[in-house]
Amino acid sequence: MVLVDIRETKSVKASDIFLQIRPGKDFEVITILRALVKEQPVDESQVQETGLTLEQLQDFVDRMKKAKFGVFFFGMGLSMTRGKHMNSAALLTLAAELNAFTKFVAMPMRGHGNVTGADVIMRWQTGYPFAIQFGRGYPRYNPGEFSTVDLLVRGDVDAALILGADPGATMPQPAIDHLARIPTICLDPKVTHTSRLSRVHITTAATGISAPGTGYRMDEVPLPLRPALKSPYPTDEQVVRRIHEAVLKKPDWLQQGNRMALNQV
Amino acid sequence: MAAKQFLLNPSRTAKQGAQINIGKDCPEYEAMVTTVTMNADDMKSLGVADGDSVRIRTEFGEAIFRLEVGRVPEGLLFVPYGPPTCKLMGGDTEGTGMPLSKGWEVEVEPVSGDAAAG
Repeated sequence: MVLVDIRETKSVKASDIFLQIRPGKDFEVITILRALVKEQPVDESQVQETGLTLEQLQDFVDRMKKAKFGVFFFGMGLSMTRGKHMNSAALLTLAAELNAFTKFVAMPMRGHGNVTGADVIMRWQTGYPFAIQFGRGYPRYNPGEFSTVDLLVRGDVDAALILGADPGATMPQPAIDHLARIPTICLDPKVTHTSRLSRVHITTAATGISAPGTGYRMDEVPLPLRPALKSPYPTDEQVVRRIHEAVLKKPDWLQQGNRMALNQV
Repeated sequence: MAAKQFLLNPSRTAKQGAQINIGKDCPEYEAMVTTVTMNADDMKSLGVADGDSVRIRTEFGEAIFRLEVGRVPEGLLFVPYGPPTCKLMGGDTEGTGMPLSKGWEVEVEPVSGDAAAG
């Protein structure tokens, strides 16, 4: 196992080789690796910038080419640091190019909770993983335009329903401030930073503990969860269904096409 | 004492992940997300010690953190992400949907006990 990080983490003990790169040099490292895979010349000064040596990178490339089945596990240290989606795109390209020599894949390391599950469900329901806008009655996807942080920071939304998340403790302050300004409804088994800023907090049963559900493993394998305990609170699904039923009873202001889309939920 | 420039890296930790399932509404969570890890040499040059409080400032905001000495590279700081790091985070996602969450250029300034408590 080769570990690439800007500092020694606990994973170093489990790794065979640790490559400590300079912060913000992910794209440069991956691009040099891509050049070495294709046996292209690499400028020494560009290698130095990364904090690694050409020998280290060449050895890494040789090991990857020799592997029977390689996997890149990548996390927020790659996708949310300088370069962001360009870093992820570069790594996916490297994985694709390595398939000329051996089998290689890339898999994102996900955060706490069921992030993979949310992506998977949105994907098979709409074709997109996140940042989906239903305003026209059909799904449209555009990160930066329809993504939650952007909508909140721009102040585009005038109400919010928060489910299975705590943006009040994770999003940039301008987004949190907007959630506090508008009527926010939060469904959560616990008191959180988001529940505190919400107009309405509905306590729900904890999925997997006191409510049934499905957790998705990082490799997208669904795991059915049977509740071990009983809860006096409703499940997230029951609450959303009841809100949906109540909304349907409201006078119709949508166009006919949109009404049909709403009924399919 | 003068302020110094660092690169701050908010990150996830396994302990923080476990604590989220216990609850965030408690002192344990509060302590996790306000504890910044700094290199021992950086602490010396900043004139601070393990357990001292510092004010960390970005172009977007500032928050008070408690320092903890750790094996991290010089010039880099690490902290489990949470409400204090939200104050330091910019809202621009550069069209990606996610704001820059690592490698923030920050100014670190020691604060006296009174300011830290406030």
